Amino acid sequence: MALEKLTIDNTPSNQNIYLALFRDVDADTTQALQKQLLARNPAFEYAFIDASSIISRVHLLSAIYNALNAVATNTLQTPNVHSEIVLSLSPSNNIADAYRRWGFAAGKTTDLIVVKVVFHDNEQTEEQVWAHLKEHIPTGTVVDPITDEEIAKSTDWSKVRKYYKLNGVPALDRIKDDAEKKREMERLAVMGMALRGL
Amino acid sequence: MAAPIPKNKRRRIALGCEGSANKLGIGVIAHDAVTGEPTVLSNVRHTFVSPPGTGFLPKDTAAHHRSFFVRVAKQALADAGISISEIDCICYTRGPGMGGPLTSVAIGARTLSLLWGNIPLVGVNHCVGHIEMGRAITGAQNPVVLYVSGGNTQVIAYAEQRYRIFGEALDIAVGNCLDRFARTLEISNDPAPGYNIEQLARRGQTLLDLPYAVKGMDCSFSGILTRADELAAQMKKELSQGKETFTPADLCFTLQETVFAMLVEITERAMAHVGSNQVLIVGGVGCNERLQEMMCAMAAERGGSVYATDERFCIDNGIMIAHAGLLAYETGFQTPLDESTCTQRFRTDEVFVKWRN
Amino acid sequence: MATEFPLPPVLTYYPSSSSTPPSLITQGAEGRLYKSTHLASSRPCALKYRPPKPYRHPILDARLTKARIQAEAKVLDRCCREGVPVPAVYAMDAAAGWMMLEWIEGQPVRAGINVWLGARPETDEAIDAANDAHQTPLINLMERIGTVVGALHLTGIIHGDLTTSNMMLQPWKTTHTSQQQTNGEEAAAKEAAVQGDVVLIDFGLATTSSSDEDRAVDLYVLERAFASTHPRAEKLFEHVLEAYGKTFKKAPSVLVKLADVRMRGRKRSMLG
Repeated sequence: MALEKLTIDNTPSNQNIYLALFRDVDADTTQALQKQLLARNPAFEYAFIDASSIISRVHLLSAIYNALNAVATNTLQTPNVHSEIVLSLSPSNNIADAYRRWGFAAGKTTDLIVVKVVFHDNEQTEEQVWAHLKEHIPTGTVVDPITDEEIAKSTDWSKVRKYYKLNGVPALDRIKDDAEKKREMERLAVMGMALRGL
Repeated sequence: MAAPIPKNKRRRIALGCEGSANKLGIGVIAHDAVTGEPTVLSNVRHTFVSPPGTGFLPKDTAAHHRSFFVRVAKQALADAGISISEIDCICYTRGPGMGGPLTSVAIGARTLSLLWGNIPLVGVNHCVGHIEMGRAITGAQNPVVLYVSGGNTQVIAYAEQRYRIFGEALDIAVGNCLDRFARTLEISNDPAPGYNIEQLARRGQTLLDLPYAVKGMDCSFSGILTRADELAAQMKKELSQGKETFTPADLCFTLQETVFAMLVEITERAMAHVGSNQVLIVGGVGCNERLQEMMCAMAAERGGSVYATDERFCIDNGIMIAHAGLLAYETGFQTPLDESTCTQRFRTDEVFVKWRN
Repeated sequence: MATEFPLPPVLTYYPSSSSTPPSLITQGAEGRLYKSTHLASSRPCALKYRPPKPYRHPILDARLTKARIQAEAKVLDRCCREGVPVPAVYAMDAAAGWMMLEWIEGQPVRAGINVWLGARPETDEAIDAANDAHQTPLINLMERIGTVVGALHLTGIIHGDLTTSNMMLQPWKTTHTSQQQTNGEEAAAKEAAVQGDVVLIDFGLATTSSSDEDRAVDLYVLERAFASTHPRAEKLFEHVLEAYGKTFKKAPSVLVKLADVRMRGRKRSMLG
């Protein structure tokens, strides 16, 4: 099974968090998924994220951490933890923008990150989650393990720069080394998310 | 050159004259010649009260002090039950304060000195008077001092022979802010505008939005007063249209909650800075029970304690001038007649505190 | 002491088995600082928590706490984007009163300088120009401080509480040894103590301003703090100012203003 069970420090213990990455998913699959989301089918409560807008595990997990804190403090700005994870990736409070930028685009998104939070009052097992995902994302390659290198293969850096307003930022422009520059972009993106809307 | 003590003298006695603002106070204090233990022999005060909506003007206040000086001095002597020959020194407020009133009282003190056979004069810093009296009454050893009155807002801690100002109001004093707001609401000045604000604030329900202006260990109150005045104007306008969204009580409540929170915050910062857990509140605003209550909540959290005095001592009085003056006199300090002037500006940290170590 | 205070809610969640428990580092008037982790133990963080103040009206307290955390976070964000070395904000909940910051490794500049100056710096004689030559590593540090403060001021931010305790020395990945190895281990350890990147911390009193006056007062606070913390090295402070003067176009006029501020002998002068 290629569903990763995440542990995140300083988050409530009454939940399991699962992560999966699918590469080269076809248009039919994302279109079918979108139909389910538009129909608000509760069986499709996942955070579906366009992997091209994600920098690294720290970047992704930071969003999950922030969303879980919103759950814990009853300050969700969106319907549930999964939509909140997508919003948490954004540096602004514009929910529609966040869905458009970090959610997937039907027929366009090919690399798909899926996060599922199962609270303990829900009986769903890991196997059931994975079976459901595999059934509805039949195309594409399952990436396992989901390392920073694998995530980076999908990253569209020009998109990331635009979304986190990183163009013309002095802190980045002075860095020559490419790897270091990417680390700094991750740092600034996480910070933008932490300060969302400020 | 400490003053010699006659063998049979068991105590030293000072008469203190205070009149830096609208209170004329004359008091007599005795210090045990051996232990230094202070005993209040008398504490007489007469306050100049101006009509509602007005403040006390220097000229009128000075006239008040001049016309009551003799009466108050006689009463203080009678209450103390001492003879003039027992008085070691006559202490008066050198500053800070309002020029006219200060001068009137200084002239009174000089006159007594000459009249009674050249009794030595001691010029006293008003703020140091408050601090020393507060320490003596409460027994606080080495507290951080919050000095809050109509003319002063200071957070003070003692170090190396001086009372050092750690934080202060950058514009108007907190008491001035409260007094002026009392004028805006046309609240009575009797017995004191601040006292009447406090009573009104007890009935306040709604916390309104006022600026909160703390900068490090300093704070400012003029912006808050401006906004409070605006809200008061809005309230009056609404009232004339038959609406009432908030009351004068709400305004007083809000003003107190805001400015006192600022005072407690800067005091806490100073306590953390010097590593002290005692607070002494002095000055007229120090009588306010809500301020004392908030300070207690802060100190309790830090495992410390609050020392405050009642209106006899926290409101300007002659005793504190007598006490601080006598402390200085006992170290050999005197103010020669031709130097017995007053000054409107006299910073707390200018005084060399020889009597502490 | 740590057990005297209840943990902020964010730290009361079930910690993962691999994580180290949060520990209280300091308790100031402003709030408490804990060392904890963000996401995983590989990401240590400093958690700054402003607990509710029991003396303040709850509405006022909530408003102030939120505004102050937000203000501090915004300042840090601006610094980070401008390339001023400060800790990044990992996560925050202003309404709940906390902010998780990047953990800066290393020791405060204050401790580093004290190691360099020796065990009892206050009793030794003052460093003068004659033995400046031996002070090169310390002087280099002073220059790095000046450069960093200049970079901060260039972004239009005033720190408000510059001291050598509010600057960290983040170790370099490789140590630069300027002196001959023959000086021995002790000398090498001394030199290592003043090496590293200067990172500014604790922006709880920071404000935005580009006025010469505010910048000069910021420098003056540092100058006073430096003189009282490291009296023996007081004379070396000029290297901070010299480096500061080269950092941006208006820096020289700030230094002129600084002379004014000193002359005025601000009341802060007794604070050190």
